[in-house]
Amino acid sequence: MAIKQILIVDDELDMRIFLSTVLETSGYRPITCQNGRDGITKARSIKPDIILLDVMMPGEGGVNMYRALKTDPELRSIPVIMITAVGHDSFSHYLNMLNAGLPHPMASPANYLQKPIDPNTLLAALQHAFSTVRSDGDSSREA
Amino acid sequence: MKMAPHTLLIVDDEAGIRTVLSILLADMGHRVCCAETGDQALEILTDAHPSIVLTDIKMPGMDGVSLLREIKRTHPDVEVIMMTGHGDMDLAVKSLKYLATDFITKPISAEALEVAIARADERISLRNQLRAYTENLELLVAEKSRKLVEAERMAAFGEAVAGLAHTIKNISGGLTGGAFVLEKGIELHHDQYLKQGWTMIKGNVEKLVTLSLDLLNYGKSSEIHPAWCHPNQPAQEIFDMMLPQAQSLGIWLELSLSDELPQVYLDSEAISRCLLNLIGNAIDACLDGPDSPGAAQVRKVTIRTLTAQGWAAVYQIEDTGAGMDNETRQKIFQGFFSTKGSRGTGIGLMTTKKTVEKHHGRIDVISEKGKGTIFNIFLPDISTPGLDKLQERPTTTQRFSA
Repeated sequence: MAIKQILIVDDELDMRIFLSTVLETSGYRPITCQNGRDGITKARSIKPDIILLDVMMPGEGGVNMYRALKTDPELRSIPVIMITAVGHDSFSHYLNMLNAGLPHPMASPANYLQKPIDPNTLLAALQHAFSTVRSDGDSSREA
Repeated sequence: MKMAPHTLLIVDDEAGIRTVLSILLADMGHRVCCAETGDQALEILTDAHPSIVLTDIKMPGMDGVSLLREIKRTHPDVEVIMMTGHGDMDLAVKSLKYLATDFITKPISAEALEVAIARADERISLRNQLRAYTENLELLVAEKSRKLVEAERMAAFGEAVAGLAHTIKNISGGLTGGAFVLEKGIELHHDQYLKQGWTMIKGNVEKLVTLSLDLLNYGKSSEIHPAWCHPNQPAQEIFDMMLPQAQSLGIWLELSLSDELPQVYLDSEAISRCLLNLIGNAIDACLDGPDSPGAAQVRKVTIRTLTAQGWAAVYQIEDTGAGMDNETRQKIFQGFFSTKGSRGTGIGLMTTKKTVEKHHGRIDVISEKGKGTIFNIFLPDISTPGLDKLQERPTTTQRFSA
């Protein structure tokens, strides 16, 4: 089976190095980006198996990248795991607000991980996301 | 109706009425004293302290209405019941205007008397209750205000602690992450992991050092030790100190000193720390600059000392860095807000502002996203420290020429 490619989008260098190391030493291939704009470009060019996305980033932030991913027919089936500093309440609230104005609501993220991230929790979340993808083929398909 | 016994004063020129009323009222359980005239009534009023006065309206000498007015003037809490004969209705109504409790008509029936006294009693007890409530209320307000002030202080403290906790959590996250990467390097004999892990740990230890220094400076900023000093001196010192660092980062550091400045009463060490903070920020802003479109080609930080109307001296730190939008500019002086992501502690600028305010000075900022930022520190002409009037300084308008 091909090595899974995982796109990491985080503005903090420390986080990118840490996440890359965790993934690389567990048999995945990490690809990193510093911001949402590059993240989208990278996602289009490499079609990663999963995306780890930091919610809080300067500039356009993780929310905009999430919206761009989930409204793009080519990208919206890629599972996204959101990385947050303060739990997932504010992001899901924001997502609900965005969805209120959309004819086809965006799917929720495959999972949330709260900082500081424990390597085992991260790996378990990845495995869970992959198993969901395998079972129904598209975890984030619209309802 | 059950009521507490009162002391009553009966005022009537007719001895028969005084006797009958005395017996009736004593039967009801009250203490009774009597007066023949208004003048006598006023004397007894002072000695016996009755709570209720029953007075005839028509009396030789001082009449009932005049007595009522006098009692209400000198003893406003005493209830006065007027006794009227037939055809005295106008006077009775007039007495109500002068705050009589009630009036009863002669011949006086026991029931009417009882009702009038019950009404007076009710008014007395209501007034006592009200007084007790008012006193209680004052105590209550004092207590609640004390608690509110305390709560507000605790809220501010809690906010500061939460901010600090967040900063420390970030650093400890970085340290844990660094340790993980380093361990993988050791485990797998992987050079790159070793180096990256070690760099992460070093960087986060450095952040911890900065944080503790910032906190220490914040503690120091609550007290300043001013002395006469030329304002150019701290500027020159900090310029000399920062020049090598700026040069190594490729930033042009420039110093422009005014030679028209007087000696200023300032804490040169504290002001130096402020300049260091602002110049450090300016350099960081320049390093962040190229990311934003339209950033200036030359990365430059200028330190100026200037004169300004109404002030003894002005320090100005200008950079051609990233600049700030309105929203950011409004938050920068808040504690634990940082524009530098995990690099900043959000304490430096808060400390600088506090120091400037301790000097009775002002700090303002002019900034535009992508164009750069100017910080101005205005120091007052102050020879007697602690002069409160110095806080009322003319405010300068914020301008930005781009």
